[in-house]
Amino acid sequence: MDNVKGIISSKEVSGIADYFNLYRRIKQEVEDKKPQGEKNIKIAILSSFTINGIKETLFVKCWELGISPIFHVGEYNQYAQEILNKNSGLYKSDPDLIIIFIDIRTIMGEYYLLPYQISDEQRKDLLGEKLKEIQSLIQKIEENSSAKILIHNFELPSYSPLGIVESKQKFGFIESIETLNADLRNAFKNDSQVFIFDYNSFCSRIGKQNIIDYKMYYIADMKLNLQYVSELCNEYLSYIKPMLSLSKKCIVLDLDNVLWGGIVGEDGLEGIKLGPTPEGRPFLEFQRYLLSLFNRGVILAINSKNNLDDAVKVFREHPYELLKEEHFAAMQINWNDKISNMKAVAEEINIGLDSFVYFDDDKLNREMIENALPEVKVVDLPEDASIYLKTLMELNDFNSFYVSEEDKKRGQMYAGQRKRQKLSKRTIDITEYLAALDMVVTIEKANSFNIPRIAQLTQKTNQFNMTTKRYLEEDIKRFSENKDYLVSSIKVEDKFGDNGIVGAAIVKKGEERWIIDSFLLSCRVIGRRVEETMLAYILEEAKEEKEKTLIGEFIPTKKNIPAKGFYKRNGFKLVEEKDGVGKWEFLMANEYKYPEFIKVDKK
Amino acid sequence: MKKLKQILSKVLEIDEEAINDDTSPDNVEAWDSFNGLMLISELESGFNINFTMDEVTSTKCVKDIIEVLKKHGVNLYESS
Repeated sequence: MDNVKGIISSKEVSGIADYFNLYRRIKQEVEDKKPQGEKNIKIAILSSFTINGIKETLFVKCWELGISPIFHVGEYNQYAQEILNKNSGLYKSDPDLIIIFIDIRTIMGEYYLLPYQISDEQRKDLLGEKLKEIQSLIQKIEENSSAKILIHNFELPSYSPLGIVESKQKFGFIESIETLNADLRNAFKNDSQVFIFDYNSFCSRIGKQNIIDYKMYYIADMKLNLQYVSELCNEYLSYIKPMLSLSKKCIVLDLDNVLWGGIVGEDGLEGIKLGPTPEGRPFLEFQRYLLSLFNRGVILAINSKNNLDDAVKVFREHPYELLKEEHFAAMQINWNDKISNMKAVAEEINIGLDSFVYFDDDKLNREMIENALPEVKVVDLPEDASIYLKTLMELNDFNSFYVSEEDKKRGQMYAGQRKRQKLSKRTIDITEYLAALDMVVTIEKANSFNIPRIAQLTQKTNQFNMTTKRYLEEDIKRFSENKDYLVSSIKVEDKFGDNGIVGAAIVKKGEERWIIDSFLLSCRVIGRRVEETMLAYILEEAKEEKEKTLIGEFIPTKKNIPAKGFYKRNGFKLVEEKDGVGKWEFLMANEYKYPEFIKVDKK
Repeated sequence: MKKLKQILSKVLEIDEEAINDDTSPDNVEAWDSFNGLMLISELESGFNINFTMDEVTSTKCVKDIIEVLKKHGVNLYESS
């Protein structure tokens, strides 16, 4: 792993050949060794044309993130055969992610250039049939694999033989492809296994006149200019990162020349650039988009060398300041160094530094954080503030396969968290404090409403997580349909607000003994004895079925120290320990009660 | 000349010293059809020019490449 990092950092990458170069060197380094990254992924790529370069480039980009990938690349235009044949290389490669890249020229054949050779009706039928074909191929994959499926939509042509009257047609050439794209999107809207990659948008972003190099197309059937393979791979990473729980959770911001132009301590409230002027708009719109990310569940925090009073004055009094104190989960505004402040932010919010993205206009500060805290993703912010917004919009680090109601409310929850901490400072006795919260814990068996959230929690929870097993929605669904499993979610409300679903338990029911497969709780509620409530619930369920023992495992990771000792503290006995993994046993004959001050609602 | 040799060396996995006019797919193992195209792509972005399809298909060795680059006005002996 360290050797690979060395190889990557030794080379400045400028073009596709550099990726091939790195690919060969990393390959040599890791050859004959088992996957040795902290994270591994198996990726299959199927396409209707020559896609050389994607595997090599994506391989390098994965390693840059510490992911060790294994690839299966389908034969030239053999995607249908591979999908239909259960014994094909595709299924043998047992992929976690299947990327399907079929292009519109292949779909339409000669009618791509002769669209009006056939009637509108015939074209509709042709594309309708192609859509059905794609749907049945995807269905086939779903029957044989639980891999995430990423399928490209189709590039809309930017020309038409009819020229300017194209838009006057009853069901024109362009419209027919637009319809195909819309139908493709709608077909999989409710299928959590399938994601549509908006290749048409991608082409627009690159520029449709550059996306294809015609001589390469004629010589080698290459339909994507080699220069843009790297950009395409970046897009794929948007999906790979959340699959491997590499998404970021929090944006940490500097203030002067980041949220507004100028220095508030010197220029004063009236002097800073923020508002509907040419110099103020880049900051206004940057804030607007940050607010938008906040609304989808990204946590915001501040790390700034400033006078707290000056900054707070902007938050409270500046007419164009969109981000207020209530949006920030932590505000480290002082004259301490940026590194200690960053650590303080992590501590206050209670998430790992590797969940942070940092914005600072000062190059030295950025370098300092990068060197001292390499887990933090430091954004290479351009000097020109007019490019801030674009830089922010292009980050693909905040993705998840599902945005839950909990995500959308996360901001408010953190505001509530600050109030809770204030209460905690006032009341000294922890039990009194917890009792004063008036907690209601709702435990609900897995159903179609909470399954996506349970899967999301298994992906995201690092600290209070006994086994850190990561599951996809499909896995949780399978467990919940199996009568040998107990799958439940835990929701916590208190007098400061609704925390939403913050915990989950998966228990395998066996003869005589039950085994806890997963037991996890979001860091927001750790230490509020919800963990004990969850355990009491499992024991109660087990007792009802006359079980004798409950087995719990603790698999240590770098991050789950808060979960260590939980079984020991709660009456379990260590029966086995191997390679650091402890196996703990609880005998049902022993009594175990719900914490008194928590109201429990079982559904 | 240095820039050209750098690109050739990078794409074709050969030492810059080993490159001469006669270097071609016949004597460089890694110079297969795909690497040939990648070479074109890197030369185009490296020298900011565009080859025609005929130039691509008729270029058989390093000497041919130098000729084509000259035709596109690239001064290979500039110190760039």
